[in-house]
Amino acid sequence: MRETLDILWTYRQEFRAGLLVTLQLCAYIWTIGIVGGTLLGVAAASWRRSIGTVSRAASYVLSGVPVLVLLFWLHYPLQMTFDFDLPPFYTAVAALSIINVIAVSEAVRRALEDFPRQFLSAARVCGIGPRQTVLRVQLPLVFRQVLPPVLFAQIATLQATLFASLISVDEVFRIAQRINSQVYRPVQIYSALAVLFLAVCLPMHAAATFLKARYTRDYSER
Amino acid sequence: MLKGSALHKSYGNQGAVLKGVDVEIAPGTITALLGSNGCGKSTLLRALALIEPIDSGTVTIDGTAYDASVDAGKGVPSPWPTVTVVFQQLFLWPHLRVRDNIALPQSQRDDPMAAGRFEELVQIFKLEELVDRYPNELSLGQRQRVALARAVAVRPTYLLLDEVTSALDVEQVTSLLAYLKTLRGEGLGILLITHLIGFARESADRVLFMSAGRVTEEGDASILSAPRTRELARFLAVLDPSEPVPNGVPAVCAS
Repeated sequence: MRETLDILWTYRQEFRAGLLVTLQLCAYIWTIGIVGGTLLGVAAASWRRSIGTVSRAASYVLSGVPVLVLLFWLHYPLQMTFDFDLPPFYTAVAALSIINVIAVSEAVRRALEDFPRQFLSAARVCGIGPRQTVLRVQLPLVFRQVLPPVLFAQIATLQATLFASLISVDEVFRIAQRINSQVYRPVQIYSALAVLFLAVCLPMHAAATFLKARYTRDYSER
Repeated sequence: MLKGSALHKSYGNQGAVLKGVDVEIAPGTITALLGSNGCGKSTLLRALALIEPIDSGTVTIDGTAYDASVDAGKGVPSPWPTVTVVFQQLFLWPHLRVRDNIALPQSQRDDPMAAGRFEELVQIFKLEELVDRYPNELSLGQRQRVALARAVAVRPTYLLLDEVTSALDVEQVTSLLAYLKTLRGEGLGILLITHLIGFARESADRVLFMSAGRVTEEGDASILSAPRTRELARFLAVLDPSEPVPNGVPAVCAS
């Protein structure tokens, strides 16, 4: 453990730079995924036959495509075919954002489609207007249903940023590989990497699990 | 007056559920709606509350006619909460505490007496210990009391109750009966779906009996002692086999 911490301290500048790139990747992917996925999910629930069908089909197809294949396909064949050159960082952002948008949109679509309309009827007959019904009844309930799966999806995309190292993005895993190639201390270096990821992922995972247990409950009460 | 005229409703695979039902609920009266499961009672209640568009028919609330086949949310004036409903499944909002389940609808109205009304209802429905709990922390009987309080809190003119006595004990049914009579005295028109014949007999000014999508018998509570139709006689015999079954219908047929 001490050696692991020593490695982290000795190469703190490099790890910090790599972690910064990883966090930048995440900032893009999370923002695009949450905003784009929410909009797509709402549209898919609103227009089930058109956008909903496309969204479900995209989700089905993507579930059969490994992240790495999508990443490489966007990085090599697509850019060669259409003759353009996208920096690897943005290629990684694009690939992981597609996955994140679809994951978030599916969570939002399901929560909206499964939402018991009777809660809205109960609000209507109590004289609550449409706007207040959405703000005070529908949004809070949908948000509680959506939050845990969305958090789990963000953890998964954070972990998937490691694949960006394979197309030469200098994120934290690539930095760790580079340090290892210089000092050859794989146990300590990859343990240090694990510590970094655990420090970020575990609190997120704990929060998602807590929210899921607390809020994602059976609407039918008991 | 809350009036439904020529209400028709069909579901795809079930056929017609309402076959031209006419019904009137006068202010200051309690009307009990009886009938077997699946005869259309809850559909009629939702149609009268204008929360389920039906195939055809008109609902008139205090002189304002609504086309019951279109979404009443687009109608002006809004029929709610002049007419309000306590659903069989209650549908308390699970993310809100009992206090907020009752106070949220109140907050939408310009009612200077809302706070006093809230306290009064909490006392009437014995919710003092429950106001800070969430619905999923309550028993079914407690949730039914909260749903009733929520509905009454918005001061409706017509209150439609769908099987709200199903999980109440005898004492609670008795106190509900007393409270419904108080509301009737305050001018509320109440439509009550129930399977408790004694409750209907005690509380109702009028009794409607539905069978296969039609109101087949109606009158005052005396029809529960002397039914005129075989359907009602059979229905009563099933609920209470000790009741005499007139018109020569043996009780065993009913069951």
